[in-house]
Amino acid sequence: MKKLFLLLVLLFFVLAGCAPSSRRTTFTFANAQWDSIMFHNAVMGTIIEEVFGYGWEELPGSTPITYEALMSGEIDIYSEIWTDNLPSYNEDVANGRFELLGLNFDDNAQGLYVPRYVIEGDATRGIEPMAPNLRSVSDLPQYWELFEDQEDPNKGRIYGAIPGWAVDEILRNKMDHLGLNATFNYFSPGSDAALSAALSSAYERGEAVVGYYWEPTWLMGLYDFVLLEDEPFNENGFMNGIGEFKSSDVTVGVRNGFSAEFPEVAEFLSKYSTSSTLTSAALSYIQETGASSVEAAKWFILENKELVATWLSAEQFETLINALES
Amino acid sequence: MNWIYEFPFQLTIDTSAIDKGVRSFALTFDAVLRVIRQGLTNILLTISDILTFIPWWVLVLFVIVLYFKQSKKIGMSLVYGGLLALIGFTGLWTLMISTLSIVITAVILSVALGFPFGLLLSLSERANRIMRPVLDTMQTMPVFVYLIPALLLFGLGRVPAVMATVIYAIVPIIRLTNLGIRQVNPEIVEASRSFGATTIQTLIKVQIPQAFTTIMAGLNQTLMMAMAMVVTASMIGAPGLGMEVLISVNRIEVGRGLVSGTAIVIVAIILDRLSQGWVKPHSEEESL
Repeated sequence: MKKLFLLLVLLFFVLAGCAPSSRRTTFTFANAQWDSIMFHNAVMGTIIEEVFGYGWEELPGSTPITYEALMSGEIDIYSEIWTDNLPSYNEDVANGRFELLGLNFDDNAQGLYVPRYVIEGDATRGIEPMAPNLRSVSDLPQYWELFEDQEDPNKGRIYGAIPGWAVDEILRNKMDHLGLNATFNYFSPGSDAALSAALSSAYERGEAVVGYYWEPTWLMGLYDFVLLEDEPFNENGFMNGIGEFKSSDVTVGVRNGFSAEFPEVAEFLSKYSTSSTLTSAALSYIQETGASSVEAAKWFILENKELVATWLSAEQFETLINALES
Repeated sequence: MNWIYEFPFQLTIDTSAIDKGVRSFALTFDAVLRVIRQGLTNILLTISDILTFIPWWVLVLFVIVLYFKQSKKIGMSLVYGGLLALIGFTGLWTLMISTLSIVITAVILSVALGFPFGLLLSLSERANRIMRPVLDTMQTMPVFVYLIPALLLFGLGRVPAVMATVIYAIVPIIRLTNLGIRQVNPEIVEASRSFGATTIQTLIKVQIPQAFTTIMAGLNQTLMMAMAMVVTASMIGAPGLGMEVLISVNRIEVGRGLVSGTAIVIVAIILDRLSQGWVKPHSEEESL
């Protein structure tokens, strides 16, 4: 027994000493587990690999953990920083805790959604309109019975944001501000997977459901949801839940010291810019064809050559297209 | 080609068929699922109501008295009572009650299903052989794999949280009931048979009392495993201390996480000591 143990320990050290010595530089992307970030990672990664010749890999983790890893330098590139969802974002940028390179897209939407059939009905599925006059968040109280909370039948249930996101606090304040607490429970779904499972299973049963979600996502591409209106955006009252969400800036960031080490890659990343519509199209492509994010990235680059050309020099662009088309 | 380093062929499993299967199952058996959900919700709400109705100092006194009766150590009894009160002083009492109601419901269900099941396994060698890998799977399958389907079937909230907890925590009570009954000295069983006792009579009057200590150890483990699921359960919307931990982890608020984490530890320790106490007095009697 003792000998076996010693042997194992020895084996461990031998193996530890055997780590491959010469490996090419590999960039680590944050994979914060939602679909669009994986897609943008793949587009950036493919270009970095084909044009600049560096490797790339993804490090999975939750939003705050990957964000913290960016600031500690364990993650090199964060392709989608949802600025409004990170409570300390402005402070971190001001203190230079990472390098902000550019804007990925800013035409996204978030807020409380209901399936379209709740308002308009769906003749093909035989669903009658349940709340024909539901337009805005403030109309919700008159329809609370539709959204009954099975664990508390005296109130409706609003599926809230993922706990810990900045928007979670804003939504809680919004409940107070609009007096929704009298008729609704704010339900914390716990995780992104749980929230999308709740919304999609309600949709497939044709039930009424109201919950927080955001675009671009495959869920919003696949199912027909309507964003409920709210009062116009209000700069001062926003954190207190007054007014609608303005579209959030989604930025590209790299760890400190990155652009000094890899100026060419940093220049490409600072020019990288897409839109919510383009991202949604790519996510639907993934959902429909079952493609991997790398396959979708190649498809995306070849479909949007003109856009991609603006990110790169003419020479670099040529290398990329030659590599992908061969 | 290179079959030394690569597998000669690849199987493609049509996982999307499984996805569709689960979704259509959820649609077809909607009515049944609703009844199960409603039933479980009622149990949960009743337990939660009872726990909310008890004033905090009654619960604290209860812990002190119960532990004192078991251990006769006044010092430790007061420490446990004080720790429990500490949860209240840090403003986490209501969250603790939420957590406790989920854990207690899960443990009651686990015992109600697991104890008879364990008895069954102890009677049949074949059932035991078949169930072993199933029990192993239940304990080792990553929780998230069945958590998400549970969401499609039962929606978000406390009910799927209880279900997931039961799947995970039921295993020790089944295993140790089975083991306890099997370990009863065969000569004692034979003796009771020779006095004309039926299988059921032997089981109830001889085997279960003899196996009581082992079964209680199983209950203690079930309780501890249910507590271990608290944070995971909050990822599918179970309110309570686990949610508090999740929020603080998501916001990287180390201090807040530590406070709520400590509260979970306190609850777990108190539950562990109290449930161990049920075992000890009995075993002392036996040793006399």
